[in-house]
Amino acid sequence: MVEREAVVVPQAGLHARPAAMFVKEAKGFNSDIVVIKDGREANAKSSLKLMTLGARHGDRVVIRAEGEDEEAAAEALVAILSREEEE
Amino acid sequence: MADYVRLDGVAASEGVAVGPVFVHVPREVEPERESITEEEVEKELERFREAVEAVARELAQTAERLREGGSESEAGIFEAHVEMAEDPEFHSEVEERVRGLESPEAAVLAVGEEYAKMFAAMEDEYLAARADDVRDVATQIATELMGGGQAGLEALSEPSVVLAVNLAPSDTARIPKGMALGFVISEGSRTSHVSIMARSFGIPAVVGVGGPLEDALGAEVVALDGTEGYAIADPDESTISAFKEKQENLAEEAAELEEYKHVEARTKDGRRIEVAANIGSASEAEGALKWGAEGVGLFRTEFLFMERPQLPTEDEQYEAYREAAEAFGEKPVVIRTLDVGGDKDLPGVDQPEEENPFLGWRGIRMCLDVPELFKPQLRAILRAAPHGNLKVMFPMVVDNVELRAAKQILQECREELEREGEETGSVEVGIMVETPAAAIRAADIAPEVSFFSIGTNDLIQYTLAADRGNERLTRLQSADHPAVLDLIGLTCEAAREAGIWVGVCGEAAGEPDMIPKLIELGVTELSMSAPSIPRAKRIVSEL
Repeated sequence: MVEREAVVVPQAGLHARPAAMFVKEAKGFNSDIVVIKDGREANAKSSLKLMTLGARHGDRVVIRAEGEDEEAAAEALVAILSREEEE
Repeated sequence: MADYVRLDGVAASEGVAVGPVFVHVPREVEPERESITEEEVEKELERFREAVEAVARELAQTAERLREGGSESEAGIFEAHVEMAEDPEFHSEVEERVRGLESPEAAVLAVGEEYAKMFAAMEDEYLAARADDVRDVATQIATELMGGGQAGLEALSEPSVVLAVNLAPSDTARIPKGMALGFVISEGSRTSHVSIMARSFGIPAVVGVGGPLEDALGAEVVALDGTEGYAIADPDESTISAFKEKQENLAEEAAELEEYKHVEARTKDGRRIEVAANIGSASEAEGALKWGAEGVGLFRTEFLFMERPQLPTEDEQYEAYREAAEAFGEKPVVIRTLDVGGDKDLPGVDQPEEENPFLGWRGIRMCLDVPELFKPQLRAILRAAPHGNLKVMFPMVVDNVELRAAKQILQECREELEREGEETGSVEVGIMVETPAAAIRAADIAPEVSFFSIGTNDLIQYTLAADRGNERLTRLQSADHPAVLDLIGLTCEAAREAGIWVGVCGEAAGEPDMIPKLIELGVTELSMSAPSIPRAKRIVSEL
């Protein structure tokens, strides 16, 4: 199991396009992945759950991945959160 | 004066319509059964999965239809709905309830409502608005489970003018084709879902008429003018005939433009002007051809590089360029190499923070410094070239130093590919003329390229020192300024001397007032957003 901390960089927070991309990326990994914010967990492969976290620009979240590709998964998802959205 | 009700609103989608009224009242969907028996569980779970599949398929088709109509953002809404319908957490919650002997339709509505409530309670305005989306999707799945077929918009069988407080994207999408003559909507603005969808389906619409809509609900016939932004309930005979006449005139104009879609654009004195499309991805190629594009004057490649964790591979780029090349066949496709700067992040490229990214390390400047960015793109273009008529265009070029360096790298890529035994094709090389420097010294550059394409948007911004996005500078954001026109003239003159062609690929290329001026100056190719093509062709043919 790996855990990585990330700060949400996209201005829009973790919803709309950033969330869709995030989920798409997450679905590409076999590991079980959750995003944790203020003690609440959400399945990273569920955009509905993710949006209910209401993670905003500047919020701190933890990504926890467990499975064969956990390292790569955590890294890829942290990268998405750390990137400014286009326009 | 006739006794009718006039509703004033926002002109949301062009056109005129007269027809019988259909009032859309959003319905509450009630589950047929609350519970099921133990024996039914497996069967009902299967039915639930089938219903999800059917709904997701339909939503995806609507997204596709919108994308073809050029409504990228609305297509995105339906894609988000597909995502919701297929959400794994949503499914497991519904399945759990069904295993607890709740009927699937009751379960899906209940889970949808739970999410809707959660969203509605959120502070973030965007997320709160998602409550309607999740309700919309849950309702569709429940309706599908109950055999669909409820009376409503999908059952509309007589072409009608639809009156509603508001229409959700799924409402608009399920109206049978040809049955909506127009929309009169109490809420909304030009950028509401319903307005954007009406425009992409070509249905006249007046929105934001407010409370007075109530007064029209009892009307039998409504006439509306989506170009002017008003509607009339129960119009008298003379009003109806006036509207019908307007309708005929508009239909005539549309039919006329239809004719221009597939003609070669030529001025009266026989000068051939190529009218091409600007595209941002290979998937837009088909749509552009349908509008009558005679080529692609600007293929922006930025999209390939954005919003992703790694840079695109050479093969990935090759596929995209080949797809566009094949779609257009003999017709030219001008690929602009990557044009980004400090205002947009690139994965894997260390971009320093800049005070002024539009005057910074961007476009060809960055590409020349970062071969791992530039070379895969050039290699992909060279490899895709045998599949069509590709040209390569370098952005932000200021002088021959940059141009020669870029051409040198292109040549290196070609030699490498040949050594590797890869097939390559010939590509003409051109530059975007978008810096005043390139325009002023166009005569130096012209002998070393096969074409110029004037990027008016940036040329205006750099020439008039006026930020494109600054609302207070509108006067300084037009190509119709003597300083900008002079630079375009210099570029055309240099091109004429050197025997190369000049195109324009900024907004100005599609502006009816600018087209005659550009052609007068010597431009022979105009590249614009695809829906503007038929009109541009007509303007050209009348010159």
